[in-house]
Amino acid sequence: MTRQKRSHHRLKRAVAPYLYLSPSLLIIGLLMLLPMVTVIGYSFQNSAVLRRDPSFAGLKHYQAIFADPVFWASLWHTLYFTCMSVVFHMTIGMVFALMLNSDRINPTLRNILRVLYILPWLFTAVIIAVIWRLLLEPNGVVNSVLMQMGIIGSKVEWFSSPETALHAVTFANIWAGYPLFMVSLLAGLQGIPKDFYEAADIDGAKAYQKLIFITIPQLMPIIISISLLDFIWTMQVFPLIWITTGGGPIYSTEVLSTYTYKLAFSSYNLSQASASAVVILLISLGLTLFYIRYQKAR
Amino acid sequence: MAEVILENICKTYGNNFRAIDQLNLSVEDGEFLILVGPSGCGKSTALRMIAGLEDITSGSLRIGGVDVVDMPPKDRDIAMVFQSYALYPHMTVSENIAFSMRLAGKPKAERKKRVDEIAKTLQLTSLLDSKPANLSGGQRQRVAMGRAMVREPAAFLMDEPLSNLDAKLRVQMRAEITSLQKQLGVTTIYVTHDQIEAMTMGDRVAVLKGGVLQQVDTPKRLYESPVNAFVAGFIGSPSMNLFEATLTGDELMSGTFAIRLQDAAFVRRPGLRSYAGRKVVFGIRPEDLYDSSLESGRKYQTIPAKVTSIEELGSEQIVHLNIDAVRVDSGDPDAVDDFGLASNAVARFEPISAVHSGSEIRVAVDDAKFHFFDPETHLAI
Repeated sequence: MTRQKRSHHRLKRAVAPYLYLSPSLLIIGLLMLLPMVTVIGYSFQNSAVLRRDPSFAGLKHYQAIFADPVFWASLWHTLYFTCMSVVFHMTIGMVFALMLNSDRINPTLRNILRVLYILPWLFTAVIIAVIWRLLLEPNGVVNSVLMQMGIIGSKVEWFSSPETALHAVTFANIWAGYPLFMVSLLAGLQGIPKDFYEAADIDGAKAYQKLIFITIPQLMPIIISISLLDFIWTMQVFPLIWITTGGGPIYSTEVLSTYTYKLAFSSYNLSQASASAVVILLISLGLTLFYIRYQKAR
Repeated sequence: MAEVILENICKTYGNNFRAIDQLNLSVEDGEFLILVGPSGCGKSTALRMIAGLEDITSGSLRIGGVDVVDMPPKDRDIAMVFQSYALYPHMTVSENIAFSMRLAGKPKAERKKRVDEIAKTLQLTSLLDSKPANLSGGQRQRVAMGRAMVREPAAFLMDEPLSNLDAKLRVQMRAEITSLQKQLGVTTIYVTHDQIEAMTMGDRVAVLKGGVLQQVDTPKRLYESPVNAFVAGFIGSPSMNLFEATLTGDELMSGTFAIRLQDAAFVRRPGLRSYAGRKVVFGIRPEDLYDSSLESGRKYQTIPAKVTSIEELGSEQIVHLNIDAVRVDSGDPDAVDDFGLASNAVARFEPISAVHSGSEIRVAVDDAKFHFFDPETHLAI
């Protein structure tokens, strides 16, 4: 082989991996990176999109957002909505996964429960929103059941009252999202060797001790991974809140996603909306980096 | 420390499969008993029933004089070493060993003292802060032993604890466990499918097949006087050669050869005479077959054989032979047919033997070492 031929061969080998990657890189660049960079650009412009030659605005829109009490309310609502959702997703997912993994429950019943428990996962956000709007209507099933049981005295307007609306959407989101935890934890539970529990039985462990000393430590990698993912995803939830409450009443369920949407498409303040979107992006990015670092550490 | 007594123990599963049938076994205080048998013989089930991890369908089980049939595992005063070791991967060696003490609410100082003592005995002191994932197979094995020892139980139960180790380490750990057991003097029941472990480690060996106890005896007696063809074939490696032959007068006729039996054979087994003119199963161990061209083989009668293959082991040669006789199956489900039908006998020749694959040779047989079994019942005559 001549020297020229050899260097040509080497070049081909060096370029080949990038050629294979290029279609996906191109698509990601066009569909994700480009819009992201554009939005960041808009957030520093006056009257972005609306005018042909927008002027540079500096940090004006960011200052405006941070000065807006609705933004801070949205941020607080987002954190409440997300933290409560993740905690309850995990708790309910764990309880149901333990039930489905238990030998004490009849196998037929277990199969039926498995299907029932996974149902919420099959619905799209729109359907979930509609279901809960119907159920939580002042004349809906929930009110009538609670009244018959004597838990509430009069009809509660779950989605329309500022006191209850945020809890109600959070509740609907908890209901919609626990199956991810349940399925992941169930897979994790089934992977824990039976010997661990038998050894613990011989050592005299009680059921709660087996849960604390064996089950939870064994599931910890799954719990942390899924919690971080759930946190990132729940922070960005839009359709469920938009369809149930639209962020209201009186901003009581306003979260960062609805806040940004309204700035863009109700007030047509696309520059400020972009600034708000960048703030969401930064928060998500921080969590994502944390997630990636955790995954690498494993 | 305690004796373990099993009386008429049965285990039947839901589908009417009987895993253990009328098992009677008495393990003396401080004894090292091995439960051995081919896969699926019920040895692990028996051990798990003693541990309390499987229910006993019927029968009685006493540990240290106490009936434990209805007791949960923790109250039986036993400790178990699992095949997988069952070490908790998220705990350090020290936490693994101290786990049962922690569950029992023992103070930290007491736990540490006990763990240190055990670690010293098992040479684990430098590894106490390591996680199981960072240990070698042998070290993990010792941690599992430590976890069992910490409870100071009346009996140790071990379920194939060496099967995950490589061959060399297994030999070393065999010796370590045996000497540890002698040192501690704790009654030990040890399950294995490896008959070499059974022969080298136990004070006595119980051979199981299909859930039925075949023989309980010292390794030496098990080897020299197997009660049936199964035990004869199962104990010893390579297995005993078993053939069908016809007893005519004092001659054993098989195919194209005949072997004259000495009077001593009939004196030792009075029942053998009654098989005159009938079929009988005779067995001979590979080490009792010799290369007739060597000094060791000259004093014996010879039979013709064809060498099909040779395994050179350095200290000896395992020679696969084809002799003109009908081979008898010992009933060991794990036994593999020797190269299909090409060979039907195995001999252990001295390393100086010059036989080679494909050659027609004469094999010397030590007829004083023959074992005889009934062709129908396979029981020893």
